[in-house]
Amino acid sequence: MKLRKLISLSVAALMVAGMAIPAAADEAAAGGDVNGDGKIVVGYISKNTTDPFHGPINSTATEILDGLVADGTIDEWTGILDGLTDAGKQVDLAADCIAQGVDYAIILPAEAVASDPAVVNMTEAGIKVVVVNSKTDSTDDLALTYCGSDDVYAGELMATYIQEQLPDGGAYIHCQGVIGNSAQIQRGEGILNILGEDDKFEALGDYPCDWAADKAVNAATDAMSMYGDDLKAIICDNDDMSSAAQQACNEAGRSDIVCIGVDGNQGPLTMVKEGTLGATVLQDGVGQVTAGIDAIVADINGETVEKEYTIPFVLVTSENVDQYLNADSAAEAETEAVTE
Amino acid sequence: MAKNDKKVLGMDQDSFRMFMGKYGIGIVLIGMVIIISIMRPRFIQPTNLLNIFTQISINGLIAYGMCLAITTGGIDLSVGSQLALVSCILGQLVGVKNMNMVLSIIIALAVATAFGFLNGVLIAKFDMFPFVVTLSTQLIIRSIAQIISNGQAVSMTSSVFKSIYSGNFLGIPRPIVYLAIVVIIMYIVMHWTRFGRYVYAVGGNVNAAIASGVSVFWTKTLCYTISGLLAGLAGLIFTSKTGAAQANIGVGYETDAVAACVLGGTSFAGGISTAPGVLLGSIIIGCIYNGMNFLRIDSYYQSMTKGIIIICAVLLDMVMNKKNR
Amino acid sequence: MAENYILECSGISKAFGGTQALKDVQLHIRPGEVHALLGENGAGKSTLMKIIIGLYKQDEGTITWNGKPYQARGPVDAINQGISMIHQELNPEPHLTIAETIFLKRESTVGTFFLNKKEQNRRAEEVLKKFDFPFGPKTMMKDLTLAQVQMIEIIKAVSCDAKLIIMDEPTSSLDSEETEHLFRTIRDLRSKGVAIIYISHRMEEIFEICDRVSVFRDGTYVSSRDMDGVTRDELISMMVGREVKNIFPKVDCPIGKPVFRVEGLTGKGFRDISFEVHAGEILGLSGLVGSGRSETVRAIFGLDPLESGKIYLDGQEIKIKNPRDAIKRGICMVNEDRKGYGLCLQRSIRENISLPNLPEKQAGLLLNQRREKKECQEAAQMLTVKCASIEHTGLSLSGGNQQKVVLAKWIMATPKVLILDEPTRGVDVGAKSDIHTLMCQFAAKGMAVIMISSELPEIMGMSDRILIYHEGRLNGSVDRSEIRGGSVTQKEILEKEFGGK
Repeated sequence: MKLRKLISLSVAALMVAGMAIPAAADEAAAGGDVNGDGKIVVGYISKNTTDPFHGPINSTATEILDGLVADGTIDEWTGILDGLTDAGKQVDLAADCIAQGVDYAIILPAEAVASDPAVVNMTEAGIKVVVVNSKTDSTDDLALTYCGSDDVYAGELMATYIQEQLPDGGAYIHCQGVIGNSAQIQRGEGILNILGEDDKFEALGDYPCDWAADKAVNAATDAMSMYGDDLKAIICDNDDMSSAAQQACNEAGRSDIVCIGVDGNQGPLTMVKEGTLGATVLQDGVGQVTAGIDAIVADINGETVEKEYTIPFVLVTSENVDQYLNADSAAEAETEAVTE
Repeated sequence: MAKNDKKVLGMDQDSFRMFMGKYGIGIVLIGMVIIISIMRPRFIQPTNLLNIFTQISINGLIAYGMCLAITTGGIDLSVGSQLALVSCILGQLVGVKNMNMVLSIIIALAVATAFGFLNGVLIAKFDMFPFVVTLSTQLIIRSIAQIISNGQAVSMTSSVFKSIYSGNFLGIPRPIVYLAIVVIIMYIVMHWTRFGRYVYAVGGNVNAAIASGVSVFWTKTLCYTISGLLAGLAGLIFTSKTGAAQANIGVGYETDAVAACVLGGTSFAGGISTAPGVLLGSIIIGCIYNGMNFLRIDSYYQSMTKGIIIICAVLLDMVMNKKNR
Repeated sequence: MAENYILECSGISKAFGGTQALKDVQLHIRPGEVHALLGENGAGKSTLMKIIIGLYKQDEGTITWNGKPYQARGPVDAINQGISMIHQELNPEPHLTIAETIFLKRESTVGTFFLNKKEQNRRAEEVLKKFDFPFGPKTMMKDLTLAQVQMIEIIKAVSCDAKLIIMDEPTSSLDSEETEHLFRTIRDLRSKGVAIIYISHRMEEIFEICDRVSVFRDGTYVSSRDMDGVTRDELISMMVGREVKNIFPKVDCPIGKPVFRVEGLTGKGFRDISFEVHAGEILGLSGLVGSGRSETVRAIFGLDPLESGKIYLDGQEIKIKNPRDAIKRGICMVNEDRKGYGLCLQRSIRENISLPNLPEKQAGLLLNQRREKKECQEAAQMLTVKCASIEHTGLSLSGGNQQKVVLAKWIMATPKVLILDEPTRGVDVGAKSDIHTLMCQFAAKGMAVIMISSELPEIMGMSDRILIYHEGRLNGSVDRSEIRGGSVTQKEILEKEFGGK
């Protein structure tokens, strides 16, 4: 009997402890109450809460949405709903948002196709959906707006950089993200768009590395011992992998190998600053989610919202790294600069 | 506590254990529902309850297969990849080749069932550790799924196919109907058939089962085969749910299935489980996910909460079965 | 007696639940003597030894060791105080070296944590040399024969500075040459002042190696004698001691046609066993533990493989590969290991009873649960299982009632041949006589019953015929009429069990 009590108590205690105390705002803004229940509620379905790229995005969103609750623009938001990088889970979370009477939902899709039912179901339930970071299939038709960047372009940026660095061409390997993921597919497409057309470059192979730095290191060391001096470049689908691969090359005395990836996480940026990594492609995730929330605020205020906001990828080298290193540190440190 | 009282008290304890073994977890569930509902009245609304049941359908199906495996003293870690395999087969047959949908589904389920059978044979015939066997087949099956799909996601555009998940039957979402059918069948299989008894006997005391003329080979093999079939069904529902066939789905799904079994009173020592218990366990898992989102619990705390609830449930189970040792 | 004893146990009693395993027993050991401990199965020898090495704690009584009160907290503590035991079942760690085995739990170390292997091997080498052991300290245990493993155990005991070594059936798995080597070692130890308690069923060995003997019977101490001047007959009389009282409710019933016959059965632990059982007959298999009785019936039931031999049921030869085949033919067996092979304790009594009988309770695809419940209830009542409800788990039952549930399982199957291996072991007196009554009823129904028991009075009281095992072979048979007529006594049976003719 005692044990049972203990269990229910601990369950209750945990739930209360973990609960973000919702700040109630009295007056609801006129325009944003989509479902007419007298409250404006914003849902936020993340892709995940674990990888370094999504960390700053989630904390920025938390910052801004908490601010909007505090100043009364919206009444509540759901907190970060963790998609666990699982499209099926995101469909469930969409159902939770519907059940919770959400008016606007922000979603960072895990998959282009498989996460689409989340967008469809929410729009069918009358929720205005803002898709951030990557598109789902029906985003163009259904979403209020899409705020993201063009992954094909990111791939092309990387490829162009490689072309510039290696005017004589050479052989390269490609470290892939989780196979089937849209970012993986599109970035790979971008790389091929450029290097596939260039006779001077030879693709030695695709290594499935699941976005993971350690697997990229293995791929790099394998390729170095297999191809030796023929290996000139390692192109990675994200820069966790490229920075780790570059580090492995440097340690093996092969700092001549050019590694590049996408995202602009703090670690790689620091390496660019130090000069141990040539360049990285910055994806402005914080900018994407900020634009998404801005769009919601604009819609609440009755202003027009564009169907799409493209936040550009930027090639970060030692010349411009300072500005991004600082900006990102700012986001990390959660200063008030962003909410303003 | 004089020695003479022991028998009377023993009976009392036994009855109490039986009661708690049967209903203890239900009390936990009711407690949870009450707490969440008081804090968030929307939680208890019919739409949300239907929502929860729809969401647990996939985990529920997997959990019933897992329950059989655990009851025989094993485990089936391959279920997550089975989801992906079925999804990819459906993607190729329905999405790419435009094959007859019913036939494709039968083929996909047959393949999943065959892999379940393979698990069973390796475990029962060669007496290999279930953990090792299913860990290995997990990798193999996932790889086959990637080969079949070539790493590409296939969009399942057919509205008929999508309605497998999103359709209604008499106003009830179809996944709930599937789950209900499986629960009823599994209840009958586990508690009203010879096979069910053999499962409990093999899990409870394999030597006694052998000495009672039970075929351990067929009992175990059938358990893993059923687990494969149920995981295949779950994969079918998953594919319809997301409208996409791809190889990277279902990663880690065995964890929630094991959790549902354990919450439902399935003992890892083998020989103890009930069909209603597994359903209750799945519902609790569903309520934890849904309820924590309703309560706005920070996602960082969610896994911890889930873990603590499972440990508490196992503790409860051990206290109930203390006399085993 | 003002003699000089190294170990004195007096007034030791120990009960397990309701069973009195030891009652006011004593054992006095002199330094440097080889002391035999003799008694039937279950006489309490092992229990007393386990008390001495601290595995059990006595309920009453005192032990004095080297003149001081002694109580071991466990085998390791006993070793530290100078008492080592070499068990009958040796469990060497196959992947340890000889040195590691000898110094297990008292390794040579550098500082507190780090092993000093060199030093350890050197010390091992020293002791091994003392015993002329043919292998070096780095040899793996798995490369040794059983006799060598045993020798290592002895070396280990000596290296721990043991003043008393208990050897439980040390020769049971040794051949004659190895036995001879062991005896040399024992004599050597004796000359160095080490006392040895020697437990064995082999009379010749006891006469060869031992100085004194203590005899136990039914958990009581009978007497101690010097080996000089005692005869084999006297010892056996001391072990048996009592008369066979007819406490067994054996009801004679007409014995019918032969039902079951085996010819030349050979397998692990038994050779060339042939016998025949008739309908309505209770056949008793008697012999010492490990003499091949249980091994034979396990093989008949399909639990262990047969090397050769034929099994006939109703005159036709049958093949039994596993228990399922046996059950299908109507051969059922109650195993001596109730927890291991009898019940799924965490399942209900009903499920346990009906487990082998489910095919009959099938109604279409499902089980006819109402019928099952009714029949199990009846079976439980017939066997007088004391339980509140048949839905309770096996755990809620006492040992005797668990055994009745096992019987109920098989009675419901209405077997032609019922094998009962130690059906009353660990069962209280009341349940015991219930089980005996049931056995007679089964026989009266025309079943052929094969019973194994380590209790001579039980086997003599219940059997129509007794076959006596000695070291894996049959060593004679006794008819009920001979027992009734008094022409065969317990003593004679026991003599045959010990290999006499």
